[in-house]
Amino acid sequence: MIGHQHTRGGFIERTLASLIAIAEYSANAEALVERGGVLQRVDPRVKLAGLLALIVAVAASRRLAVIGFVFAASLLLGLLSGIRLGMLAGLIWVPVLLFSGVLAVPALFLTPGPEWAPYITYPGIRAAAFLISRGGTAATISAVLVLTTPWPHLLKALRSLGLPVVLVVILGMTYRYIFAILQTALDMFESRKSRTVGTFAPNERRRIATAVVGALLSRSFQMSNDVHQAMLSRGFRGEVYLLDDFTATRADWCWAGLFAGSAALAFWLGR
Amino acid sequence: MHIPDGYLSPATCAALYCGSAPFWYVALNRMKRALNTQMVPLLSVFAAFSFIIMMFNLPLPGGTTGHAAGIAIAAIVLGPWGAILSISVALIIQALLFGDGGITAIGANCFNMAIAGSLVAYAVYRLISGRAALDARRRVIAAGVAGYVAINVSALLAAIEFGIQPALFHDASGTPLYAPYPLHIAVPAMMIGHLTIAGIAEAVLSAGAVAYLQRADPSLLKTTAPGASGSAAIETGWGRTRPLWIALAVLLVLTPLGILAAGSAWGEWAPEDFGNAQARKQIAAASHDQAPPTSAPAGLQRLSTFWTAPLPRYAPAFLKSAAFGYLLSAMAGTGVIVLLFTSASWLTSRLRR
Amino acid sequence: MNIFSVSDVTYRYQNVLALDHISLDIEEGQRVAFLGANGSGKSTLLRLLDGLYFAESGLITFRDEPLIPHMFEHDSFAFDFRRRVGLVFQNPDVQLFNPTVFDEIAFAPLQLRWPKQEILQRVDEALERMEIQQLKHRPPHRLSGGEKKRVALASVLVLDPEVLLLDEPTAALDPRSESQVIELLSGFAGNQKTVVIATHDLAVVADIADHCFVLQRGQVAAQGAPKTILDDTALLERVNLIHGHRHRHSSGIIHSHPHKHPHEH
Repeated sequence: MIGHQHTRGGFIERTLASLIAIAEYSANAEALVERGGVLQRVDPRVKLAGLLALIVAVAASRRLAVIGFVFAASLLLGLLSGIRLGMLAGLIWVPVLLFSGVLAVPALFLTPGPEWAPYITYPGIRAAAFLISRGGTAATISAVLVLTTPWPHLLKALRSLGLPVVLVVILGMTYRYIFAILQTALDMFESRKSRTVGTFAPNERRRIATAVVGALLSRSFQMSNDVHQAMLSRGFRGEVYLLDDFTATRADWCWAGLFAGSAALAFWLGR
Repeated sequence: MHIPDGYLSPATCAALYCGSAPFWYVALNRMKRALNTQMVPLLSVFAAFSFIIMMFNLPLPGGTTGHAAGIAIAAIVLGPWGAILSISVALIIQALLFGDGGITAIGANCFNMAIAGSLVAYAVYRLISGRAALDARRRVIAAGVAGYVAINVSALLAAIEFGIQPALFHDASGTPLYAPYPLHIAVPAMMIGHLTIAGIAEAVLSAGAVAYLQRADPSLLKTTAPGASGSAAIETGWGRTRPLWIALAVLLVLTPLGILAAGSAWGEWAPEDFGNAQARKQIAAASHDQAPPTSAPAGLQRLSTFWTAPLPRYAPAFLKSAAFGYLLSAMAGTGVIVLLFTSASWLTSRLRR
Repeated sequence: MNIFSVSDVTYRYQNVLALDHISLDIEEGQRVAFLGANGSGKSTLLRLLDGLYFAESGLITFRDEPLIPHMFEHDSFAFDFRRRVGLVFQNPDVQLFNPTVFDEIAFAPLQLRWPKQEILQRVDEALERMEIQQLKHRPPHRLSGGEKKRVALASVLVLDPEVLLLDEPTAALDPRSESQVIELLSGFAGNQKTVVIATHDLAVVADIADHCFVLQRGQVAAQGAPKTILDDTALLERVNLIHGHRHRHSSGIIHSHPHKHPHEH
């Protein structure tokens, strides 16, 4: 994660923009989850295990065609679940192309093998295609999972798939406090922005940014103390107890079979 | 820095998940013992903090901006174990929910940044800051250097993981199946960006945040400043740092083993090798015929044979080279020595009691 | 009968003295308000009453049992105490740490290991009581300030505690949520429930308390019925609860905004 903007000033705006993007991404996801669709009705445990198996199958495949097929299938599932193409393109494909695409270009020339065009080799094209298709497909599948599953359900699914309870609780609380700290960070930046007249000298900008980090750290520490008190006050003794309330229907078992079958097929064909 | 899906083979990913697991286990147990009921809220809130910090766009000298990972500042405030866990959780949430870093690469990203990064940052910080006072300038410098070194070690690990892919994982036509660049391209390509922009961003963030805390909330710096005057001596002597040394040693031992495993254990050890009498003899010879070396070059030669034997035949020259094998063996050796020393000191302290 | 008895209690944060040899008693079924400016020690006292902090010197008892760390090491006392005494924090963000409103309200009963059916039923009752059924499956970070406060109240009321401790329950609320909270608290009058409220909001005191303790610098500066206290302008000015330009509305309700730094103006 390296940013190379040479624009002067405006670092607060840029940080604000990425913080707001995070908030918007999750708001998008939460709105979509509430709409009905094919995958929204599937038991989260089945969905999580099934889609993870597909991601691993994509990672293991040695054939581009198999990766392409899994991509098409996940795209279809996404469309049937109310995810718009534009959303996937904006959130997933453009970033993947920008990142992996740029990284893959030199491979066209650097990979030894018979040439397709001057300096561009066949293995080079295939290597670039593997990089982009694998990255894009895996990212599409995880987006389909996240955009159709409410986070609390995903947490409970992780737990029923064997993740220790304490980790599940920490993951849940982390997600929750990302928004509290995000709000604090936004407030700190906004208040500094509103006090800004003209532009700062570079070292002054740097001092402000690191002071915000330090202040955020000390606020986080206080917050964790208060949260700890609030937990103790309601009977927390170190062990967390959670409720399980998933019941798999016959349709869920069918989906489980479908996922298992297609992942196994993808593994076998992609050897 | 966040490795996406598709850059590392499933074998490498599995090896790095396995490499990370013992650190998570030890860190979780130690935090649980030290913090009891406070562990869950502390780790959660700090993981959220780490997540937000990775979004910050820092202005750097020369007019550029860069993202930092906040590894050193976490290691300084929470100590290495807390930093391992809270950065890991931040990385897991980024991969699961925000598509930043691949799901199959969670183990790799946690190993590089959360585990190796935190341990290195902590070691460097403690080494440089020594017994300096909490408000000493030296702590600011120590934090900056710790951040710079930690992010570069993480980047180097990622570069090595990338760089071994084309040699180990390609199809019959020679097409690389995962990250396509060999070590001699991957390492410089990764390191140029990190030795400059990302490294400086991390140094600026760590030093600046420590300088701020010295003025505003020095109590947060106490955890990792046992020698400083006026600080509660939470960690005293060898007894408290021993697990850290063990962790570092295990890290050193695991790195070459992990690469070895990635190359051989899963899938890449052609099944026909087992049917092939000659190959079987080779493997057996590699593990048993360990005659003591007669001279230094011969010993080095033998060492490299030992190292390269389990690797697939088409492994590239650098992996088979004596120097590389020697480097990795030296890492493993250092790890073993540190482990021996640690257990010896533990034994003597038990006996004395 | 005294439900809480505080005698000669001192407490400090690192080097800052928060409670300075304070003594007071709270009777069962009483609705008590701790009035004081920021830093007067009222929030600290609430946390000591909830067994979250422990007195440095002096003693606090709950139904004649001492609130000391040793007592909380035993599950039986800890669970019993946590069920009978509930604290609503000032900042609902620190109190709402679960992924959804449902999980939040179910948290306390789950930690106390109630049977599942009872938990489900009690959670629904608490949701209904605070009129937040529609929020059941929402994540807390998507709630408004007033909604968060009502969820925080529900998450404590679900245990039906005998003692309800509230830290600034009406601070930073929209008018609708504020009147709902006040209505809830005034409903406890003459009830068996003991209610202890820390606040600097003088406008609501008469509605929600039968007895007031005015705190200043970690000590009790005055105590008495709300009416007596609210009429003592000199006292309220002395403890920084009102400022020189305090004004009376036509209705006669005292309305004041405490200032953090009263002498800067």
